[in-house]
Amino acid sequence: MSGHSNWSEWVYIGVVVALLAWVGAEAWNIERLVEHVPENAEVIKVTGQQWFWTFEHEDGTKETGELHVKKGVPYKFEITSKDVIHSFNIPDYLVLMDAVPGRINTVWFLPVDEGEFPIQCREYCGLIHYNMRGTLYIEDGA
Amino acid sequence: MVLELQKPRPIWQIMFSTHHTDIGLLYTIMSLTFLFMGGALALAIRVEMFSPGPQFIADSMTFNRIFTVHGTNMIFLFLLPFASAVGNYFIPIMVRYKDMAYPKLNAIAFWMLPPAAALVWLGFADFGWYAQPPYSAISAPSPAAEMWIFGLKIIGVSSILGAINFIVTILKCKHPDLPLSKVPLLGWSFLSSSLIVLVAIPTFAAALLMLLTDRLGVTGFFNPAMGGDPIAYSHLFWFTFHPEVYVLVIPAIGMMYEIIPRFSRKPIFSHSSGVFAFVLLSIVSFASWAHHMYATGMSFTEKTVFMVGTLAAVPASAMHVFNFLATMWGGRAKYSTPMMWSVGGIALFFSAGAGGVVNTAMPLDFITHDSYWVVGHFHLFVFGTIAFGSFGFLYYMFPFITGRMYNELWGKVHFVLIFIGAVLVFFTQHILGLYGMPRRVFDYPEIPEWIAMNQIQAIGAVLLGVGMTIFLVNLIYSSAKGKEANMEDPFGLGGKYYYPYQAKNPHHD
Amino acid sequence: MKNIIGLFMVLSILVILPTVQIVFAAGDEAGEYIDRRVEIWNLFFRMMTVAFVVGAVVSGTLIWLIWRFRESNPKATPTKYEGTGELDR
Repeated sequence: MSGHSNWSEWVYIGVVVALLAWVGAEAWNIERLVEHVPENAEVIKVTGQQWFWTFEHEDGTKETGELHVKKGVPYKFEITSKDVIHSFNIPDYLVLMDAVPGRINTVWFLPVDEGEFPIQCREYCGLIHYNMRGTLYIEDGA
Repeated sequence: MVLELQKPRPIWQIMFSTHHTDIGLLYTIMSLTFLFMGGALALAIRVEMFSPGPQFIADSMTFNRIFTVHGTNMIFLFLLPFASAVGNYFIPIMVRYKDMAYPKLNAIAFWMLPPAAALVWLGFADFGWYAQPPYSAISAPSPAAEMWIFGLKIIGVSSILGAINFIVTILKCKHPDLPLSKVPLLGWSFLSSSLIVLVAIPTFAAALLMLLTDRLGVTGFFNPAMGGDPIAYSHLFWFTFHPEVYVLVIPAIGMMYEIIPRFSRKPIFSHSSGVFAFVLLSIVSFASWAHHMYATGMSFTEKTVFMVGTLAAVPASAMHVFNFLATMWGGRAKYSTPMMWSVGGIALFFSAGAGGVVNTAMPLDFITHDSYWVVGHFHLFVFGTIAFGSFGFLYYMFPFITGRMYNELWGKVHFVLIFIGAVLVFFTQHILGLYGMPRRVFDYPEIPEWIAMNQIQAIGAVLLGVGMTIFLVNLIYSSAKGKEANMEDPFGLGGKYYYPYQAKNPHHD
Repeated sequence: MKNIIGLFMVLSILVILPTVQIVFAAGDEAGEYIDRRVEIWNLFFRMMTVAFVVGAVVSGTLIWLIWRFRESNPKATPTKYEGTGELDR
């Protein structure tokens, strides 16, 4: 056996471990912040099915393929599926959570900018997965 | 040599042989055949996605089948069999034994693969290589799904039989004068990956059976209406396939451990670090599987546990990178084709790993999950690291198999085209994922950035296609008409070409 | 001296500012909700900075090693293992 580990390899591993610890700590902290759902978040039920999204607001209003929300109001999505696994995704707002039949997954967000934003499916669900789209409309709450 | 095309041996002699070099040849030819077939599918995907709207693939079902078979084929019919090829050729030589421990079982393990491959290719299933229920249980068409399930079952058994053979040969058949700690690192890489296979594959075997009975309606393991949970499949699948990706990469790192010291004309910087890193990685690889499932609705604590498990595997890989760099330092390196591939592979290995660390940071999964970032990330591993290491080693083995040399200039041209193509395709995919493009999509909206990046990828894919065609021609032509190699030292390095203790193939030398 | 200033600036962006953020973290009233996009992209860009710095070091080292220890380099000398038979294993 030629050569052997010396101090340089130990320093290198020390640096690697320190960097990884930093990554883990930062990720843990930001995830903690991001997962904290505000208490007064308005609930929207999201249902995915092959191959479209439907939404139900707290007041019973239903929408298909489109979702209208108010700027500045936090919303909590309760997401499920009627058939296969889909994944509810608003890429511009980094909202992403699987729609799994038999369970309800939650994710919250705060609409900040007025406008129209795409909604797409982020889990392969068959023939029209590529076009399982919708639109989020953020309107001025006043 | 086992492949002398100018004085061919009777084909049935190779097909019915149980000698490890002949079985190594069978695995080599099979894996390369499927490499090119799967590559053609990939080229079809990238050309189809050149711009929005269908180009030449008429419907999304065909497209979905193409990416499913592409992925399934590349992992199970190229990468794993190629590693088995290398293991078959060299494990007995490295441990100074006459053959594998169980030569007939060895042949059986190989011959299970062609029927399994036929099932996968003729079935042409559409649910992605992940085959996640409920889609794969209630929605995916028959008989494609059942053929895929049976094909993978057979491949799994073949893997386990191969793993048993490798482990017993290394641990029990090695020469009495050879301590385990002195077995070359390529041997250790096969020992580690085989041990992972033994522990990990049975879980997937169970999952496949459960999926089949769910499809038949007999059970509801993954059907919520019958009290089941689709996420249970995810756990079973990833419990196998996260360690399995290490089964894929560890032999390729082992192959680089053969090339880099030899071509640097120095021994490996630290053999014991290499051994330690392989063993550590094998164990820690089992601690990270659910990082693939961050979006399924796991709790904060669960996600944290798996993030830590994932990060824990990084230092072992970092040790290998250090080992390679420290070996090159102070050497006198000849950059023949095998060395270029191995060193290029290290560079892409690092990029792949760095992207992986980004993925595993829990909140960043909201950006990258199931997007093209993931596709770019894993292709940097399977292509940029494993295929690079494999191609480099294949060039190195070429004289060993054929007694001839491949064309060195075209080997280097192959490398340059593939390196540029890989960067164009897989680095671009990372950025495309950041822009939100999902994976497994036949078509996409007319977003200018998405279009531009898909077009860059298509160009990269064409470069890859050209490079791989050059490779194929070089392999075939040189096997038949290449210059005869100096078998003592075909690469002019100054050391012996292969371990001095080589058993003879009973059919010829 | 310049190195220390540079190091301090990098450290502040990567470590101290996020830590300070924990102390003054968002609450639960209107106007105080966090914007997940900002938090997540912020983390992403900080990690990318680290990844590219490490990448530059690793790939820079690799490129230097390839250049300096290639056999055609005029400064290349045989390694101490050549000719001894140790390379024959």
